[in-house]
Amino acid sequence: MFPKQNDKLQVMSHAVVGFPNLDENEKAIAGLVAAGVNLIELQVPFSDPVADGHTLVNACYEALKHGGSVRATLELAKKVSAAHPNTSFILMSYLNPLYRYGLEQLFRDAAAAGFKGMIIPDMPVEEFEPWMPLLDELGIAPILMVTPNTSDERVARIAKSARGMVYVVSRMGVTGKQTQWGEEFNQYVARIRQHTDLPLAIGFGVRAASDLQALTGTAEVAAFCSKYIEWQRDSGSDEAAKLMRQLLVDAQLA
Amino acid sequence: MIRSENGYFGEFGGRYVPEILLPALTELETMFNELRDDPSFWQEYLTLTQEFSGRPTPLTPLRRLSKELGGAQIWLKREDLNHSGAHKVNNVLGQGLLVQRMGKKRVIAETGAGQHGLATAIMAARLGLDATIYMGADDIERQYSNVFWMRQLGAEVVGVETGARTLKEALDEALRDWAASVETTHYVLGTVCGPAPFPELVAYFQSVISQEMKQQAMAQIGRLPDEVVACVGGGSNAIGAFAAFLDDPEVALVGVEAGGISLKDGEHSIRMLPNTGETGIAQGYKTLFLQNEDGQLGDTHSIAAGLDYVGVSPILAHLSQTGRVTPDMALDTEVTEAFKLLMKTEGIIPALESSHALAGGFKRAKTMRPDQHIVINLSGRGDKDIFNIARAFPQPEWSDFLQRESERAKELFDATKEGN
Repeated sequence: MFPKQNDKLQVMSHAVVGFPNLDENEKAIAGLVAAGVNLIELQVPFSDPVADGHTLVNACYEALKHGGSVRATLELAKKVSAAHPNTSFILMSYLNPLYRYGLEQLFRDAAAAGFKGMIIPDMPVEEFEPWMPLLDELGIAPILMVTPNTSDERVARIAKSARGMVYVVSRMGVTGKQTQWGEEFNQYVARIRQHTDLPLAIGFGVRAASDLQALTGTAEVAAFCSKYIEWQRDSGSDEAAKLMRQLLVDAQLA
Repeated sequence: MIRSENGYFGEFGGRYVPEILLPALTELETMFNELRDDPSFWQEYLTLTQEFSGRPTPLTPLRRLSKELGGAQIWLKREDLNHSGAHKVNNVLGQGLLVQRMGKKRVIAETGAGQHGLATAIMAARLGLDATIYMGADDIERQYSNVFWMRQLGAEVVGVETGARTLKEALDEALRDWAASVETTHYVLGTVCGPAPFPELVAYFQSVISQEMKQQAMAQIGRLPDEVVACVGGGSNAIGAFAAFLDDPEVALVGVEAGGISLKDGEHSIRMLPNTGETGIAQGYKTLFLQNEDGQLGDTHSIAAGLDYVGVSPILAHLSQTGRVTPDMALDTEVTEAFKLLMKTEGIIPALESSHALAGGFKRAKTMRPDQHIVINLSGRGDKDIFNIARAFPQPEWSDFLQRESERAKELFDATKEGN
């Protein structure tokens, strides 16, 4: 399940479904769980991932060549949520593959497959609002994003529909580049806290143990995604799991 | 005048973007809503297009060709005579006025054929702005002369190496840049696509084409034309050519898409005809996209880089659904024939994009009566296509010349290197 407010920092990590291939996904996820990761996003690869930097863009292209799809993601979720009952799996996708599948059916099937939450970067809160009764009934949490330039009025609207946790985009830009943590960032986090009691997941630019240490005490979750996919790409899933374990040790989160 | 309902045209349009881009889009929308009904703003825009781009562009009768085809009287709206050589500059000059009001110092743009990138580079040079142009790596190869000029004008041209390396990927990359730079940078979106308010905003500026066309038709023909034909990539020249006629049901509006090599998946860029594009949400908006059953956007092909695009304007998707706009298509082979026919019969060198409108328009003209009139929007000139045309009509002296020129360029380059 999702952490509670003020719980110690947890790492959320990532799989792009079909990258490097579907069999490897299962092994990589088992490795992440063994390393101590309890929140894992399963990303449906998409041809046009506009919020992602080059690491995830390229992983998406590879994944599409190796059978990544909405259906493959739901099948994988079924398997891994049964195999790892203490891990929360989160569906991450751009809107079109889900829209094409049919949103209502998708929400039902995602919940049935064991997904606990969903991150859909190009689905604004207005589009989520009509679905909220169904999502609450299904118990699948829309994890909505706020960004440094989101107005207070809008953060309040987002907080109303957010469930599970609020995804705090750490800086302007796309995934896969370093973020500077500091006073300005802390004020931004404090501003978001005024609108919600949900735990905060910090994403974009979390790439090293020092980032995790900087976020310990500030947030409940840190999304460690692009860097992990780079490890997986460069050294394979086994080595990536070892590096993840070491990361958690180095950040004193093991 | 084209107006959305909260950013939608029927079921199409909207604003499906990462949260980070929303403030800039609402700021742009607020500014646009204040300016669009201000006659002095439209007058400021018209003056600028007159002073800088030579508007109004003429409506040219094709007397010899009309006689030869034996059908309707064919007229060309000469957007090719704009500064920069295409209609793209209309939108860019308009957005330049907005950039000045916003006080932003940097602009970015996506480009396919390079005409929008070129127009943006021209505007940036004129206003003293930094410009970064995203262009698919394959399109750079196809339209190198435009890349050359963009760089000469001082713009940075970034080749996009992901995916099919064409316009779709260039648009994705421009959105990524904007997500990081939105507070200081304006995204000069080049067509009537993307998140609201862009479709409406670009349509507003491009509608100058049909406003002139209407006046010119009344003056030169003495009545409205029976048909207006335009090529459709994203759809900006088509919307521009159609906008003022939407409430004139006697004027048929025809949008010609790129039929490419064949109707097989990946070999064309037709989105509006049956069994082609399907409703989807990507690149910030809802429209008809070429896509597979998993919702992955498809590969496209056209001989014309500017039409090689996977989506289509939500305004056109809607108008084709209501039946107001008739979709049509032209194959690559028909396009090169129409290109040659116009050039040899009327002495006008059209862009390959615009040659789709010619191919569709000529075909229709032949079936019409000589007392009928058809206006084809010649959206751009063909100078930029010199390499593609040379490939379509191979001549040995051209490849010999390229060889000699390449050797000269290399010698010159080596000499500068030694000089350093």
